[in-house]
Amino acid sequence: MTKADFESAVHEHQGMVYSIALNFFHNAAIAEEVAQEVFLQLFESLKAVKNGSHCVAWLRRSTVHRCIDTLRRASFRHEVQLDQFPEIPSEVPESDPLLQEGLRRLIASLPEKPRSVLVLRFGEDMDADEIARTLEMPVRTVWSHLQRGTAMIRDKAARYLMEREDEPTRTRSS
Amino acid sequence: MNQLERDLRESLGRRQPPPGFADRVLARTRQPEPRRISWAWLAAAAMVLLMIGGIGFVREQRRQAEGEKAKQQLMAGLRITGSKLSQVQARLTRIQERAVQPRLEQ
Repeated sequence: MTKADFESAVHEHQGMVYSIALNFFHNAAIAEEVAQEVFLQLFESLKAVKNGSHCVAWLRRSTVHRCIDTLRRASFRHEVQLDQFPEIPSEVPESDPLLQEGLRRLIASLPEKPRSVLVLRFGEDMDADEIARTLEMPVRTVWSHLQRGTAMIRDKAARYLMEREDEPTRTRSS
Repeated sequence: MNQLERDLRESLGRRQPPPGFADRVLARTRQPEPRRISWAWLAAAAMVLLMIGGIGFVREQRRQAEGEKAKQQLMAGLRITGSKLSQVQARLTRIQERAVQPRLEQ
């Protein structure tokens, strides 16, 4: 990979790298910093990257690993309070910005492994085999994290909705 | 695919970084790299310091040993001189006694 290839890779894949980091942290400043570091790491490893598809795989893997490193180094815990999750109406429209924002917050509150798997599965549309290769874990583990992650999101969302339903009753009784 | 999966897919869709992101990355690659101290240089410097220290230590040991040897030689020399002086003194005493003896007998 040449320096010219690197420049075009930055322009072509900036959205992918930034989105993975943003979905991981739900924080634009951290996402930009992580994305910049990933591209600088790519610049230092130009000889190791063979072609375009290898570059994409390399960027995905490096971004997830750097996200996990950043999370561990800074002990950054993006704990989400349930009241931060927006109300989900019974009839969900096709595209609901509030719901999407709530789901992003919930994903950013998951433990690092299920979070990485969910970001790659639903953000990058990768299948379990690709995720397993990227995160260097067995496919069965990927499935396990996928099920665990979606279950945790479903559980958190349900708890939030139950608390919201209880609120008017409590207000009325008091 | 269930509703939650559809919602997750929509929520985690691709988003572009803030404007100027690529320029900022490329600008960082053009910056001169801060000089990093390489481990090889650090190890070489440590080796040189150790060698200099080692040579100094050996020289000091050798100097001390030479000083000790010179001291021993001086002490031996002084001991020999002392015994010679005693012998000379004893002979002088004997000669003096012999010279004084006849006078006393007269």
